[in-house]
Amino acid sequence: MMLSTNLLAADMVNWHSFTFLFFSLLACGFGAAVLATSNVVRMAFYLTLCLGATAGLFFLAGAEFVGAMQLMIYVGGTLVLLIFGVMLTAQERFISMKTGAGEWVTGLIVGGTLLVLLVRTAFSIPTWNTAPKAEIDGVQVARTVEKFESRTSTKIGLALTGVRVDKAEQADPLRRKGMVGYLLPFVIISMHLLTVLIGAGYMARTKKTKTGRVLEGPVRTVPTNRKFPFLVKVGIIKGFVVNAFLIITLIATMTRNLVLPKEGQVGEWSQAFLTKVYALPGWLLPALILTLIINILLLFVVLNWQKWGVVGLIVIPLVQFMFLINGGVSPVVAGAIAAVLLIPAVALALLCCFSSRPTVWSQME
Amino acid sequence: MAQFINSCLDWFFRFFGSSVGPESLLGYAVAAAVHIGLLIQVVAVGALIFIWLERKVAGRIQDRLGPTRVGGKFGWLQTLADGIKLITKEDITPAGADVMLFKLAPYISFAAGFTAYMVLPFANGWSATEVNVGVFFFVAILGLEVFGVILAGYASGSKWSLFGGMREAAQVVSYEVPMGMCIVIPVLIAGTMNLTTIGNQQDGWFTNWLVLHDPFTFLVFWVYATCAIASVNRAPFDLAEAESELVAGFHTEYSGLRWSFFFMAEYGSMFSVSVLATILFFGGWNGPIPIFSEILPAITGWEWAYKPGETQWRVLGFLSQVGGVHNVILKATLFVTVMMWIRWTLPRLRIDQVLTVCLKYCVPIAAVCFLGAVAFQLLDLPTPLAPNRWAPGPFQYTWESPKPIAGEAKSSGFTPASKPVAWIGRAGVREGWVAPGQAPVVARPVETAKKTTSADKVTAVLRQEAAR
Repeated sequence: MMLSTNLLAADMVNWHSFTFLFFSLLACGFGAAVLATSNVVRMAFYLTLCLGATAGLFFLAGAEFVGAMQLMIYVGGTLVLLIFGVMLTAQERFISMKTGAGEWVTGLIVGGTLLVLLVRTAFSIPTWNTAPKAEIDGVQVARTVEKFESRTSTKIGLALTGVRVDKAEQADPLRRKGMVGYLLPFVIISMHLLTVLIGAGYMARTKKTKTGRVLEGPVRTVPTNRKFPFLVKVGIIKGFVVNAFLIITLIATMTRNLVLPKEGQVGEWSQAFLTKVYALPGWLLPALILTLIINILLLFVVLNWQKWGVVGLIVIPLVQFMFLINGGVSPVVAGAIAAVLLIPAVALALLCCFSSRPTVWSQME
Repeated sequence: MAQFINSCLDWFFRFFGSSVGPESLLGYAVAAAVHIGLLIQVVAVGALIFIWLERKVAGRIQDRLGPTRVGGKFGWLQTLADGIKLITKEDITPAGADVMLFKLAPYISFAAGFTAYMVLPFANGWSATEVNVGVFFFVAILGLEVFGVILAGYASGSKWSLFGGMREAAQVVSYEVPMGMCIVIPVLIAGTMNLTTIGNQQDGWFTNWLVLHDPFTFLVFWVYATCAIASVNRAPFDLAEAESELVAGFHTEYSGLRWSFFFMAEYGSMFSVSVLATILFFGGWNGPIPIFSEILPAITGWEWAYKPGETQWRVLGFLSQVGGVHNVILKATLFVTVMMWIRWTLPRLRIDQVLTVCLKYCVPIAAVCFLGAVAFQLLDLPTPLAPNRWAPGPFQYTWESPKPIAGEAKSSGFTPASKPVAWIGRAGVREGWVAPGQAPVVARPVETAKKTTSADKVTAVLRQEAAR
């Protein structure tokens, strides 16, 4: 009895090592099983278990966010996709794959090289060779990590929004400038993923062909002799003129060449306005000019009977509103400017939608 | 708990001349077994009760009685009788099946559904493991449940099963998108992915529940409910087992106990998404009336519910925790009953209608609600239903909104951080870094001794950022 209870005491066995070995054996074993089996679906199944065991390793290391990420992206996403691929495209020759001798040799060389490299790297880091120790009352004990410290998700989240918590002690402001976190890569990757998502939706859309089946949309024909009504035409021309005028004005403002009256009450107002404009941050005016140029391009798009041009014309004032807000203009003024810029676009859209039938909108592509 | 068990064991082993230390493995093993047993009984006993409930609800809706005989008046042992019948059935494997995957698939489905319970708190801090990214973990695991169904569909070697599995895969993968967007909104308002913290922030009267936080959360709860029903494959989204088209879908070839494992997984995940809805939108373990946190303390003059950071076991605290468990289970059972009501009321959708609901309705509505909730947080719009914010009760912790740092240039007309993040219920918040600026002022001095080393660090960083 004495022996059995003492053997089970917690300090006799390093349970972290035990769990680590358990998960790593699972991961390696199922990784080997992926190699050993020849059935594609079983390979996918073993790969899931292998990646799941890796997620377990992350959880063991206290990296909860990375572990959940591993489950979400690798185990969940990749394998659902893999199974989709396998099951939708599985032909007889893929279901059972035989590995040739040449492939074994190549695989062993590549895998062995990687293994040697990894082992070499792992053993070259001195702190990894011995367990972290701390000295308490002169006795060496294994160092424990505080529960709050081990929680990395807060730090990861802050780093993704541009604050590096782990570099908080860096006093030198010049060196701190290079440590602004990962906001930009994060945004780039999100936009990239969004593009991929839209692209996937586009690839998987129903093709608009005339087959007479219920689920598919009817074929749309483009009328050959379509014409813009007079009002819409006037609106588009007015848009060109106003946008060009605004661009010229803004360029004049940028080069400090804007001429405004200087005498009397009106002169005071205009000069006060100018000083406010000149006090705006430098990036704001070029950005506004860019949006106005995009506006002109969008008007060309509308002239080519594309619906997204009209949508873009409505979206652009909102973008300008965002620019103005971020540039330090008060929300009321920015809102007023956005409203003034939005009114012609909305009027144009309404004209397109509610002019005489067939409406311009319905004839657009 | 492990130390307590070890002390009991130590007392017992004294009689044999042996001893057990306070950190012995035995206590930890017994404690782990108790936790696992408790969680498994939530799934297994829950499934027993819910299958019985489903039959009674279906009977009532179809104007009949449902089970009446087994086990007395209401037939409440009917599921047990069904289970015994299922165990005695022959376990058949089709000739064309991939035998190993065919036999494993029900267990994978069940294990994935069960793993989600690991992070669900049933009362303040009563969860098997308190994962800091609990919501995220839950969503990741919920997506894995479909894996067992796909494997079952493939391994059965039957075209009905394969069709059922593929349909389920398509449905679950597409509904994960709006569901994720719905779940993000409470996370955004709470400022944390820790389920316990999210629940604690909705402390107080029912008006603090996130579903009543603003119009967008109210709207997005219904989107969440739709997506939850779809992601656990209940009618009207149960195309994977549409018996009029696919015999029984992915479990056509299953019989006996293996078949019942699929059912346990289904009822288990129904209950787990309901518990998640309870915690994210309906206050979790905080009842509609704050009996344990405000009313009973006011009447008796004692502390009832555990205060933040409290580690000592108290009888009254334990009682209020038990009350919290009942709150969670009652609310979740109510949602499960609503799911049954919907199942027996609405006809099944077609596959194109299922995907239309997802892509043309749920995703845009969830996206608009997301933007709206962001605007509510950013502009600090008034939340009409939150009297605790206007008139906090005597036992309510209120935190003042952090004032902007003196001399800090305001970049725009917006307030830098929204008040609802800074406003925290009685239970407090564990990660104190949410609001930049001054440390929040606590109305009652109990909490001032809180250690905020990490919070101070982040505040300092944010302050330096602002200064630059």
